[in-house]
Amino acid sequence: MTAVADAVVATAESPARARGTRRTPPPTRGQRQSALFRMRADIPPGLGAGLAVGGVVALLGGWTLASAAMDTFLFPTPAATWDAGVEWWRKGDLTVDLTASVRRIAIGYSISVVLGVVFGVLMASFRSAESFLEPQTALLRYIPASALTPLFLVWLGIDESPKITLIIVGTVFFNVLMVADVARAVPQEEVDAAYTLGAGRLRVLRQVVLPHSWPGIVDVARINLAAGWLMLVVAELLAADEGLAFRMVRAGRFRRIDTMFAVLVVFALIGLISDMSLRQLRKRTAPWSEGSR
Amino acid sequence: MNERRERPGLTVTGLTKVFPGQRRHPDVMALDGIDMHVDPGEMVSIVGASGCGKSTLLRIVGGLEQATTGAVRIDGDLVVGPGPDRGMVFQAYSLFPWRTVAENVAFGLEVAGQPRAARRERVAELLGIMGLTDFAHVRPGQLSGGMRQRVAIARALAPEPDVLLLDEPFGALDAQTKLSMHEFLHQVRQRTGCTVMMVTHDVAEAVYLSQRVYVLSARPGRVAEEVTVPFGVARGPAVKRDIRFLDLQDEIEDRLHTAPAA
Repeated sequence: MTAVADAVVATAESPARARGTRRTPPPTRGQRQSALFRMRADIPPGLGAGLAVGGVVALLGGWTLASAAMDTFLFPTPAATWDAGVEWWRKGDLTVDLTASVRRIAIGYSISVVLGVVFGVLMASFRSAESFLEPQTALLRYIPASALTPLFLVWLGIDESPKITLIIVGTVFFNVLMVADVARAVPQEEVDAAYTLGAGRLRVLRQVVLPHSWPGIVDVARINLAAGWLMLVVAELLAADEGLAFRMVRAGRFRRIDTMFAVLVVFALIGLISDMSLRQLRKRTAPWSEGSR
Repeated sequence: MNERRERPGLTVTGLTKVFPGQRRHPDVMALDGIDMHVDPGEMVSIVGASGCGKSTLLRIVGGLEQATTGAVRIDGDLVVGPGPDRGMVFQAYSLFPWRTVAENVAFGLEVAGQPRAARRERVAELLGIMGLTDFAHVRPGQLSGGMRQRVAIARALAPEPDVLLLDEPFGALDAQTKLSMHEFLHQVRQRTGCTVMMVTHDVAEAVYLSQRVYVLSARPGRVAEEVTVPFGVARGPAVKRDIRFLDLQDEIEDRLHTAPAA
């Protein structure tokens, strides 16, 4: 981009062009673009970090302004939210709620990802599996998983199993279909090369399709994790004795809006941490795929 | 073919490939009655216009696709599926990007269950031949196109195949790299004596590298001509200016353009 722009400037200011008698600006071709808004172009690294920090500061500033403009009881300030969070933690409830919710997600979402990998890879690799599974998946995934909550409560009671089941059901179809897309992107040449080197189907799946799909699978797991939290909240809102969403409902009942805000902040932080961890996992375990993104 | 046990040869007899038509489209005959052979230690090329089914033919020899009728035999054994006795090199994208160069080359040896020490020795030997020793621990993503193809050839040669199948192996390379790969392949052939069947649309490449060239007509692919190249295995770039070389190249190119289309 820059090279082209410079070339244009150089031509425009060359003596041949500037020969005119009047001091009109030399003619230019093309349109200059500011450094900030060049599509897909890099910006200086310091500027990038500055913008990131600025964005978070703007968010907190907006929050403070909003609570100043509204009633601070209905819209607590960041400081009040912090205090409520500390109180929540001191009582020991934060640890209990956090452990309960994370445990449900860890179990339910892990099962969902494993199912997603198994069926996704099968669908991508075998036309027979695809023909059998695709229509059912397409049909079932349009049933809103949250609508199944009352059913699971009836079937499974109110302990952990309906919550975990809901997390699985609410995410597994996304995981299956997206993993299938990832596994379909394995180049046929890699599969063929493995066959002509003597590998059987099982080895091709384990040593070609899986390793090639791995970074994509981590991305799919990272993206769909948000849906996992959504289902967890639905489950905990209806029936739970502990958990982050349970705390939300309970705080609402006691008009502790500051605590509710603290719960939301915890949700956001967990999301941020899990997102960054999964990005790191991909970077560490599949460094070969980083450049190609 | 059974009299040649020690260095197996490849024969293709009466090979036909029909792709069944999809809704309302008629069946497509890609290959029609192909007969050809590759003697042990020989390099044979198949040239043809795009869409003449030459890659399909090579994939059938590799066991990656099934012939509709006819047979491929290696030393008399019928080919029914892929195997390490027919090492194959594709135009691109066939290396495992998560494995290093050495690990890529070792893949076939791992499949064969060779012990680690033997694997390491064989990989080192091949990387030496291919001039890749310094890149043993580099991943394919950091290599140039020409180097990647050298890795792919090394990987295919590692399990000591009876035949090396090359599917337009230099088709994605720039002209300069392509020429150096030709010299490289000459060296590899002189050092390993491997039997090679190559598919290409580059006539000069086919004539320069092969002992014999099969010219395929398009749709359906039939053997339009079989040409013997009158130069020895040890030939250098000077051959390309030889009048016989140029005449042969012209003759094949004319044959390609006049080959009857179905």
